[in-house]
Amino acid sequence: MKVVVIGAGMVGNRFVDELGRIAPDVDVDLLGEESYEPYNRVLLTELVAGRVDLAGLSLPTPDEGRVRVRPGVAALEIDRERQCVVTAQGDFDYDHLVLATGARGRVIPIPGLRDGLPRGAHVLRSLDDARDISAAALNVDTAVVIGGGPLGIELACGLQHRGVDVTVMSIMPTMLDRDLDASVAQVAEDAAKDLGIDFVGNAQIASVGVTDGRVTAVRLADGTSYPAGLVVLAAGTAPETSLAGAAGLETNIGIVVGDDLRTTQDPRISAIGDCAETPSGVSGLVAPGWAQARALARSIAQDTELELPPISGSAMRLKAVGMSVVTMGVRASTAVERDRVVTLSDPRERRYVELVARGDTLVGVTCVGAPDLAAHLSTQFDRPGMLPVDPMHLLMGTGSMGVVESASPTTMPAATTVCRCNGVTKGDLVHAWDGGATTVEALAGATLATTGCGGCKKLVCGIVDWLQETDPPEISQPADATRETTVPSR
Amino acid sequence: MTDTHCPYCALQCAQKLGGDPIAAEPRAFPTNVGGMCQKGWTSAELLRAQDRVTSPLRRVLSTGSRGEDRFEPVGWDEALDDIAARVQAIQAADGPDGIAVFGGGGLSNEKAYQLGKFARLALRTRMIDYNGRFCMSSAAAAANRTLGIDRGLPFPLTDLNDAQVIMLFGSNLADTMPPAVQHLGGVRDRGGLIVVDPRLSATAKLTEDGAGEHVQLVPGTDLVFILGLLHIVFAESLTDDDYLAARVDGVDAVRRSVAEWWPERVAATTGVAETQLRRIARTLADASPHRGGQGAFLLTGRGSEQHVDGADTVTAVINLALALGLVGAERGGYGAITGQGNGQGGREHGQKSDQLPGYRMIADPAAREHVAGVWGVDPEILPGPGVPAVELLMSLGMPDGPRALFVHGSNVLVSAPDADAVRRRIESLDLVVVCDFIPSETAMLADYILPVTQWAEEEGTMTGLEGRVLRRRKAVEAPEGVRSELEIFSALADRLDAPSTWATEPREVYDELRRASAGGRADYAGISYDRLDAGEALYWPCLSEDHPGTPRLFADSFPTPSGRATMIAVRPVGPADALRAEAPVWLVTGRVLQHYQSGAQTRRVSKLNDSMSRAYIEIHPMLAERIGIEGIDDIRITSKRGSMVAQARISPDIRPDTVFVPFHFADEGMVNAVTNSATDPVSGMPEFKVCAVQIRKVAE
Repeated sequence: MKVVVIGAGMVGNRFVDELGRIAPDVDVDLLGEESYEPYNRVLLTELVAGRVDLAGLSLPTPDEGRVRVRPGVAALEIDRERQCVVTAQGDFDYDHLVLATGARGRVIPIPGLRDGLPRGAHVLRSLDDARDISAAALNVDTAVVIGGGPLGIELACGLQHRGVDVTVMSIMPTMLDRDLDASVAQVAEDAAKDLGIDFVGNAQIASVGVTDGRVTAVRLADGTSYPAGLVVLAAGTAPETSLAGAAGLETNIGIVVGDDLRTTQDPRISAIGDCAETPSGVSGLVAPGWAQARALARSIAQDTELELPPISGSAMRLKAVGMSVVTMGVRASTAVERDRVVTLSDPRERRYVELVARGDTLVGVTCVGAPDLAAHLSTQFDRPGMLPVDPMHLLMGTGSMGVVESASPTTMPAATTVCRCNGVTKGDLVHAWDGGATTVEALAGATLATTGCGGCKKLVCGIVDWLQETDPPEISQPADATRETTVPSR
Repeated sequence: MTDTHCPYCALQCAQKLGGDPIAAEPRAFPTNVGGMCQKGWTSAELLRAQDRVTSPLRRVLSTGSRGEDRFEPVGWDEALDDIAARVQAIQAADGPDGIAVFGGGGLSNEKAYQLGKFARLALRTRMIDYNGRFCMSSAAAAANRTLGIDRGLPFPLTDLNDAQVIMLFGSNLADTMPPAVQHLGGVRDRGGLIVVDPRLSATAKLTEDGAGEHVQLVPGTDLVFILGLLHIVFAESLTDDDYLAARVDGVDAVRRSVAEWWPERVAATTGVAETQLRRIARTLADASPHRGGQGAFLLTGRGSEQHVDGADTVTAVINLALALGLVGAERGGYGAITGQGNGQGGREHGQKSDQLPGYRMIADPAAREHVAGVWGVDPEILPGPGVPAVELLMSLGMPDGPRALFVHGSNVLVSAPDADAVRRRIESLDLVVVCDFIPSETAMLADYILPVTQWAEEEGTMTGLEGRVLRRRKAVEAPEGVRSELEIFSALADRLDAPSTWATEPREVYDELRRASAGGRADYAGISYDRLDAGEALYWPCLSEDHPGTPRLFADSFPTPSGRATMIAVRPVGPADALRAEAPVWLVTGRVLQHYQSGAQTRRVSKLNDSMSRAYIEIHPMLAERIGIEGIDDIRITSKRGSMVAQARISPDIRPDTVFVPFHFADEGMVNAVTNSATDPVSGMPEFKVCAVQIRKVAE
C-alpha cells in the first residue's frame, strides 16, 4: 500500500514511525515543506532558551527501506481524482493520504504587522523562526512577546534567560488564562515578575512601531508604548487547512474528520495533529497528536477500530527556564458541586497547588512552582481507587507523613535495629554490655554488630558512650540488674 | 581452618570454616573487606540441616498427586538405573528433546559446565536453561550487544572506592550483599551516591544526610527515566565527543531517539521532577573524566533489569555511560551487580539454552567445532539452541513439550514467575528428578530426589561479581549416602551410553572447562587451581598460564569485530500489565537481608528464620488507610495469575501507589504466584519487578 503523508512535523513523523513498525508492506512518502529533516518542534522554545542545541532536536529516522523522508518538498495540490499529491518535484500517488499540515502562527492584523512582518518581528513555528529569534536575542535589550499562553511564557522565560528584558502582552486579563484560574494566574505572574518579566493583561495592541523596516516598539490603545527590538507573536495558531480546502475537503476551524480520523468527504484521506478538527475538537498539543498518529497507524495497518483519548483535559506542562506550571483535568472553576477542591497556597514562595478529588479519583491537578509535587501528582492522576482517604495527604507527595524514627543512641527504643547486617538491636547491645562486653570490639565479638558492612560503627560507638555515662563498667552490679528503666521501651 | 567463600550471593565473602561444631568467620578479602552479614555468619548451620537428604528418595504413589505422596529411600544404583531407563523410554517415544534440564546460578563452575555437557552429550537435548535467566539475562544481552562482552563488573569492586558519583539503578545491595556497602563509603562522603528505586530501600537510605539522592520513580518507568537523562546529556552538550568519535558507533540514532524524551514529559511518566532530572544529569556529567571529574559509575541491578524492556533499559544505561565517556575510562564505568553466588560463572559455561562453554554461542559452527573437539565428539551430534527459562517451563508436559525434567541448584517452584502455573506444568510430567541437599518445595514434586554435596563439602571454583575466579574448598566430609553432582552425571552418562569422558574430580572437570573455554569470550585457559591456591587474583579473560588475567576491560578497545562499542536506540514498551480498576496498585518484589533466593537454604537456618519467618507486604500508610488496614492485619494480593497472603508492614518507605513483597517464601506467602511471566523479547527475562494487583484486607 502506498501512503503519502503531507507534513513532516512531530505528528507526521510519529505516524510514519508507528506505521513502519507494524505494517511490513507499506510504502511511505513523508513530504516536508521545510528543508530540514524532521525535528522536535516542541523544543523550539528550549532552543531559544539555549537549553538544547540544534543537533538535539533531530527526530528518529524512520526505516529507510520503506519510508522516504522528503525535506523541502511542498505539496501544491491534492488531486483526489488521480489520487496523487502534486509538488514541484513531481507527483506522489497514494492509496491513502494523511494530512499532518499542522498550524500557522496567527499574525494579528494591526499596523506594522498586517503588510508582512518587518525585521525583528517573528512568529515561532519553524526551526528558522527559532534560529532567527535566537540570533535577534543577541542584539537587542528589549523584547515584547504577544500572547500569554504556554508558548508565549516559555519564549519569554527563554529570552529573559538570555539576558533580554521581556514584556508579555495578552489580550486576555491573566497569564495562562486557558490553564489557570485568575487567582492562580496571579501566582504565575508574580513568579514571572521575579524573573524580570512584566505581564500586561487586557492589552489592546494598537500598532507595532517600525523604523527603517525594523520594529522599535509596541503601542497600546491607551497610548502606552513599550520599546522592543524584538517582537514575537505567540497569540495562538490556526490549523493549516488551505490544501484540504482547495481539494474540496470539509474544513471548519480545522480539517473536519470523524472519530476514525478520516475526512468527511474522502475516506482515503485522513488528518491528524494540529490541523485536524475531530468531533472532540482541535488539539494544539503534541500528546493528543501522537495518540492520533498511533491510532491511525494501527487502523491503517491492521484495519482495527480507532480508540482515541479525549482531547479536553490534556495535561499542560510548561517548559520554561525558572518557572514550573503543570495542569491537568479539572480545576476549581470547572469542578462540579460534589468535587473536593483542596488547595495549598504559598504566594510568597510563588507556589500554589490545587487538587480536585471526585469520589475515589484524582481528577484535577494544578501546580505552580512545585515541580516535585507536580511530577508525583501526574502519576496519580485519573487512577480510580488510589485517592487517599484524606486527599490532603496527596500534598505531601511520597513523603513520610510525619513518621520520624529516633536516630539518637540515647532515645532510640531498645527494639531498634542498630546493625542491620547481623540483626543486632540496641537491646542486644545493652544486654551484651551487662554481660561484660564494654568496648566496641567486645560488643562486636558478643553480638556481631559492626562485622558486616561496618556502617553502624558510629552508632555503636554512640551507644558505648551513652552506656559509659549511664552505666560505667567499673561499677559492679549483678548481671541481671537490667537497664530496662533507662532504655525507653517500644 | 579452611579458607573458602560464603555459599550465598555473588559477593562471595571470603570466610574461614573450622571448629567443632564447624562455624564460619570472615577473613580479609578485597570485596568483603573482612565483613560478613548474618547469612554468612550462620552459613555453617546449613551443614546441620535437620531434614538433610542422605539417601536417594523415590516417590511412592499413594494419592496420585505430586507433593502429597510419601518418599521412600532407595539405593543409588536402583535409582540411577530406573532414571536412565525412563529417560530412554521417553526419548524413544518423543526424541531427545523429551527431556528438559533446569540448572542454577549457584552451581560451581565445574558443575555448571558438566551440567551443560550432560544435557548436550548424555541427554542430547537442546532443552536446557537455568534460573540465571531470572537474574542476569537482561544485563547480559545488553552488554553483549553494546560492549561485545558480558562480565558483570568489568572492573574490580574496589574501583568504586574513590568514585565521585555512583548511580545504582534498582539495586538494594545493602540488603542483598551488605558488606559491599563498604565500597560506597567514599562516594557517600562526597555526596555522590544516587539510588533509583521505587522504595526508600536500605540502600536508598544510604543517600540520606547529604550522602546523595534517592530517585523514587514509578515502578516500570526506569527506561523512560534513563532516556530523560540521555536527553539532557545530549541537549546540553554534556557528551564526551572525542570519546564518542573515537570509540562508539550508533550515536546519532540514540541522539535522535532521545529527542522525544524532554524532561517535562519524562516527569509526567516517572514521577521524577524535571528539576531532579537536570540536576542528576549535570552531576553525572561533572563527575565524568572529560569534564575533569573523578569518575562516575552506573550500576544496574534486578530492579531495572527484570522487566519486559529490561534489556533495553540496561542498553540505555550503557548508552548513557558511553555518552559520558565512562566505559573503559580510568575512573568510571558501567556494571551489573550479579545476584547469585555463581551468577557470573554459571552463565558462561553452557547452562544457557544458546551457549557452549567459554561464552560461546551454540549456533556458531566454529564454537561447536572447538567444544566438540575438547569433548572428543563429532560437532554434528551437538543439539542446537533451546529456549529460555520461562518458555521452557511453560512447555513442560504440553503437547510437543518435554515429558521429563532434571533440576539442579534451583527451587523453581518458588523462584519462577506465575509459580502456580509452573507447578501445574511440573505436576503434569512423567519424570521429575531433583538434585538437592534439602527437600525444597521443588524437590517435593519429584519422582526422585538425589541427595548431593553442598558448598563446604566440595572443591570447586566460583566466579564472583567482578569476574574474578575464586576457590571453594572442602572443609568437612559430606554425610554418608550423599554424592556430588559430578558423580551423578558420570553415573547417568554411563547408563545412557554417552560419548566423551566424565571426570568426577572437580579439578579434572575444571581443567577440561579451561580447555573448552580457551579462545572464547570468557576465557579461563590460564586460570588454574594452582595459581588460585597460590593466592593470585585472576579475572577472566586469562589466555594462558603466564597471562595476568584482565581486572579491567575496555581500556583500549571493545571486544567487537570493529573494536568499537555500539550504542543502540531503544524505546520503552512499559509494563506488560496495565493498571485498571480491578488492579489499581503496582506490586514490586525483592529480597530481605536474612534470606537468599527461594529461601530453601536460609529458611532452614534458625537465626535467620526466627527473625524473618514469613513474607510481609510493605504498604504506605495512605494506601493502608484506604483499604482499612491497621497495624499488622493480613492482606491478600491478587493478580490475573494468582494470589498470596501476608502480614501488612506499614511504612512510609514505599510509594503510596505500590506494595513490596519479598520473594523468599513458599505456600500462601509466595509472591511469585502473583508475578507476571511475560518476558523480555531480547533476553527472555520475566517481568518480576512490576505487575498490577488488587489488594484487600483479609477478613478475620
